[in-house]
Amino acid sequence: MINNMMHNIETEIPKDRRSLLEHEALQLLTEYGIPVPQHIFARYADTAVSAAAEIGFPVAMKVVSRQILHKSDVGGVRLGLESAEQVKDAWDGIMASVQKGCPESPKVDGMLIVEQLPPGLECVVGMVRDAQFGTAVMFGLGGVMVELTRDVSFGLLPLDKDEAMEMIEALKCSELFKGYRGKPPLDINAMASILVKIGGLADAHPEIAELDINPMIVYEHGVMTADARILLKAAK
Amino acid sequence: MHTLADILLARSIAVVGASANPEKMGYVILNNLIQGGYAGALYPVNLKEQIILGLPCIPSVADIPGELDLVVVCVPAAHAASVLRQAGAKGAKGAIIISGGFGEIGNYDRAVELTDAAKAYGMRVIGPNCQGVNYTANRMCATWPLVKSPGAIGIVSQSGTIGAEIELLAERDGIGVSCFAALGNKSDIDEADFIDFFVSDPHTKVIALNIEGIGDPERFIPAITRAARIKPVVALKPGRTEKGMRAVASHTSSIAGNDRLFTAFCRKYGIIRADDLTEFYDFCKAAALSKTPMGPRVLIISSSGGAGILSADAADEAGLDIRAISGETIARLGQALPSQCVLANPLDLTGDATASRYEAAFDALGGNSEFDVILAIFGDPIAGACKVIQRQLSVASMPVVVSFLGGGDVQLRETALMHQNGIAVYPTPERAVKAIGALVRLRLAAARRERKMVI
Repeated sequence: MINNMMHNIETEIPKDRRSLLEHEALQLLTEYGIPVPQHIFARYADTAVSAAAEIGFPVAMKVVSRQILHKSDVGGVRLGLESAEQVKDAWDGIMASVQKGCPESPKVDGMLIVEQLPPGLECVVGMVRDAQFGTAVMFGLGGVMVELTRDVSFGLLPLDKDEAMEMIEALKCSELFKGYRGKPPLDINAMASILVKIGGLADAHPEIAELDINPMIVYEHGVMTADARILLKAAK
Repeated sequence: MHTLADILLARSIAVVGASANPEKMGYVILNNLIQGGYAGALYPVNLKEQIILGLPCIPSVADIPGELDLVVVCVPAAHAASVLRQAGAKGAKGAIIISGGFGEIGNYDRAVELTDAAKAYGMRVIGPNCQGVNYTANRMCATWPLVKSPGAIGIVSQSGTIGAEIELLAERDGIGVSCFAALGNKSDIDEADFIDFFVSDPHTKVIALNIEGIGDPERFIPAITRAARIKPVVALKPGRTEKGMRAVASHTSSIAGNDRLFTAFCRKYGIIRADDLTEFYDFCKAAALSKTPMGPRVLIISSSGGAGILSADAADEAGLDIRAISGETIARLGQALPSQCVLANPLDLTGDATASRYEAAFDALGGNSEFDVILAIFGDPIAGACKVIQRQLSVASMPVVVSFLGGGDVQLRETALMHQNGIAVYPTPERAVKAIGALVRLRLAAARRERKMVI
């Protein structure tokens, strides 16, 4: 049964695609037991409003376009939308700013309406392939600021739970997980399990070139994907 | 097909392009083989000279009277292939080709000609364009500089200088090396061959690798991971991120330089990574001489409060555990030591400490199981330091690493004695602490392997 649930990217995604759309990426993560927020893909402004109502306010809205990889850089993300009115405004606002922000007008497939996540510790999970060392899973702190903080560690496949724990402990700021300044300790056990699952996903899908979950939010209990990006290898 | 061992254990060597000019490699290598005490047959091959360095010259390889195992080739590149063919015809098993002028300057045809000549006779080749090999167990210094001291460190390096410096440091400390090899263009023998050889070589206890790039990961990675399960492997890798030229598509790929992946690789397989040349030598020395501690708990015993504090800072940064000494042990130390001693970790024996005060402290510790390793700091001219450490090592199973400083001539004498007796000594407390950290990493890697085998 589990095999039937596996999403086969190669057959479902056209050969010329170099990345998954966000809802496709979230779908794949779900199949590997990696928690993702409630989300609905909306093609039109009015379906976006009903999607938001179904998920429950507040929601976030993110542009879905195969020409836009870095959504926030072109004004393609709005957070904390509290009402139908704000959802409609956000739709128009995102449409306008992505046209302005991109050199060639991108084709917009629609918007992803996403459950607004509570705050937690923003981390990064990634995966890369290397010709010499094979596949590596990355874990780091800093969320979208990771390229500034550079507090990350890598683990090579095959990756087991102990090694995933060591990756977390190898961070300079690993104390943050242990209950920093009176805060409750965070769920490193869940986080380590996710790193192992990412390793499994990478192993099962050689057609994936790179993966970013950024931020991955770590809570007192559990973790949650806030944004995911999956890049595919060039078709041969 | 012959093997690397056939080269390193050669019983007869021809130096082709032997020279009477001390500035030529053909002189330097012949001289180092002679001065190094090479005991096999040695043939300088030179068409014009009669005698070089007291040895009669032979006009060509074909004229060598007896058997020939190895040729060391110092002639210009254009003649190298023909030398190999002559050597092959004489039954030579291998060649060390010092000469340059092949692939490294784009002369690929010449490189192919060389490889073909060796293959035709099943000969193995080190080089071309290399600094050669020193295998001390065979007293075969077919390289420069001249290094004779036998020891337990086997070094392989693409570049000559890094490896040669480790040899020289080891000779200065009197601990020596088992082997040094600088591989140059690696037309045949590469790091993987040396790693495999070192694993089974009884003289090599520590495998030291200076890796500038991994040419053939399919051979190198299995070889090094297998080696790390059997012997300590210390790796120096000049760290350069290789992200510059790529368009950045994901955060992960923007951060994942080759260097960070190499760090992950070392952690996964229990390879000790050295960040600089000093660490490279220090870690090799520790792994060659010291037992690995069973864990990270360090007791620092010092005659210098200042050096003790420096080492405590360094131990903290290295992730070592400098826990407090238990009340019971403090009480025993208090009875054994004069009142000015500071009974804590670091244990400060104070500046008038003699070797016998260290001995009293060691005796008071007895079969202590609170700690995994002792860092003994001699911060003054303390005669008899070596004896007291030897005595401690003979009665207790806990390893002891030493830092000796501020001790002038006594320090030089005692350090030399300790190295002779297999005790690792470092001139600064920080370096001693980092070396302990490397030993602990080796132990943790071994423990992880054992745990996985159980599961």
